[in-house]
Formats: sequence, C-alpha cells, structure tokens
Amino acid sequence: MKKTTLMLALVFAATATFAQKKTTTSATVSFDATTSLDALPKAENKTVIALVDTKKGDVAFEAAVKSFSFSNPKIQEHFNSKGWMNSDEFPQASFKGKIVNPSAVNFKKDGTYTADVAGDLTLHGVTKPVTTKATFVVTGKTFTAASSFVIKLEDYDVKGGAIGAGKVAKEPTISVSATF
Amino acid sequence: MIPSAATKNNKPFYKKLAIAALLLLLMGAGIAYYIFTEKFDDTSKIASAYTVDGMTMLQEFAANDSAANNKYREKILSVKGIVSETETADSSINVKFADSTSGAYIIFAFQQQHMAEARQLKEGDAVTIKGSCSGGTYSSILETTYITFKRCAVSN
Repeated sequence: MKKTTLMLALVFAATATFAQKKTTTSATVSFDATTSLDALPKAENKTVIALVDTKKGDVAFEAAVKSFSFSNPKIQEHFNSKGWMNSDEFPQASFKGKIVNPSAVNFKKDGTYTADVAGDLTLHGVTKPVTTKATFVVTGKTFTAASSFVIKLEDYDVKGGAIGAGKVAKEPTISVSATF
Repeated sequence: MIPSAATKNNKPFYKKLAIAALLLLLMGAGIAYYIFTEKFDDTSKIASAYTVDGMTMLQEFAANDSAANNKYREKILSVKGIVSETETADSSINVKFADSTSGAYIIFAFQQQHMAEARQLKEGDAVTIKGSCSGGTYSSILETTYITFKRCAVSN
C-alpha cells in the first residue's frame, strides 16, 4: 500500500514538473532589416520551437535558419549564403534565457502581463546577451508570449556590401511570438 | 571652324557607343527589376525532386542527417504521411507528421494561397504535402530531430 502511494506521488510530481514546461513547435520569429532604400529584406519563420517554464521562468527558442521565408528568391539566397547567415554551417539560431522578474506574471490568472527577459542569443555562431520586455497574455489554460528587440548585425559578425550601402538595416528588429 | 576629317569619322563611333551603353543600362535595369520583384512560384505547380514517405524520411535523417540534408535540403519534395497534429502559427496553420516512438517530426508551413487546404486537414488524415524542404536538425529543447518545410501545398 505504501509502495503504491509512493508511486502515485512520484507520478503526480513528474506530471506537475512536465506541466510547467510549455512548448510549441509553431512559434513565429520575424526578421525585419528593411530600409528606406529596400523593402525586401524581411522574413518570417513559423516553425520555431519555443519553451516557457512557468515555474522556473526559463524561456527559449530555436529557429532553423533555412526556414526563414522571404517573398523574393534572390534575397532569400543572399540571406542563407556564406557572406551572410551561412546557414549551411550555422543551421540554427537560438535564444536561452529567463524571466528576470517572474512574479510579474501570474500564469494561473487571466490577464496581460509584461516582464523582463534576459538571455543569450546565438546567431551565425556568435552568442551575445540580450535583454528585452516580453508580453504574456493568459487566457484560461493557454497563454501567448511576444517580444521584440533590436540586434546589431556586426555584433554577430554578419557583414556585407548591402549593409554598408544602406539596403539592409544595420540593426534589424527581431520579433518573437508563440502560443502555449 | 571646319571640322577635321578625324572628328567627322569619330562621330558615328561615339554615337554607336552611346546607344550601346544606353541599351546595356536598360538591360541591366530590366534584369535587376526582374530579380528584385520576382516572387516564389506556386509550389503546387512545381515538379517534385522526390516523393518520399514521411516516416522513411525521418529514418534517413536519424541514420545520417548530413547525407539526408545534402539529398533533400532546398528541394521541392512530396511527402506522404498521416497528420499527427495541426498547430496555429499566428494567423496560419502548420501541419505535422510525427514519429510517436522517437518524437521526431516533420512540420509543414503553408503558402498563403494554400492555407485553406491546410485548415481542412485534421489529425489522422492521410495526405501528401508538397513543399520546399529546409532540412533537418536536432532540437536541444525537445531533444529530438525535426525537419521543416516552407511554402507548402496539399498535393492530393
């Protein structure tokens, strides 16, 4: 009897631990490097893996670089080329971080919450710290998370003639959104 | 002043040069316009490089992801499988074929003009999906391999 109780307690504990880790394989990351000279360098990836641990405050995402979809084939080719993202060598962009002030979000109560998120963004094989605000909208058992931040391409060793010529923004905006 | 014979003879040459330069400029502008206003074709109208079973494809990536990426990446493929899940991605829908044993999966993001077809699909449906393969990689979040497709259309 004691053994059965212990087993059940372990199963419940494991279920609770699992339940706090929310993941999706359909988060969206968009990349906007448009300038007044060129409206083409922007793309979206809708098959991003994202995670929020509602108890520990861990947040993370992984995006396959080749999954970024541009409207123009030539720009997409440039984006993946060796001179740019070099996606053959660096196939994934990722972020691993934490909600800095986890008490700012109540995942058990409907509402809109803003929290600070800090972590490391890895792009083009270079990892740099990023801090940003994230908005969480809790509705029943589901919630959405969204954030937007600006990066400097030169920090990630992404260079190219088009950046110098003003056709690609030196500081593109990265937007992330996910439903859990 | 009377023009010299040499100046007279050069005039047609410079005129031809100017016309040639103008034509080259117009051609260059035309090519640049074409390249930078070009859009991706409708995937449903492009021939597939391979028609493959989804679970077989996952096995190929599990056995040798480098060889599988070289074979399939950036190619239009038709993938046969059973829908294991549909997921909302912003205002669109993604469709997944998953291996229930390993957790590995293939995910398809649809072209805007084929989104309505994707919305008709539900778990358990047998379907062939055509799309541009972005390759497969390992997720350290999910601890499994995943293969992504973009610009997809339902093929059957």
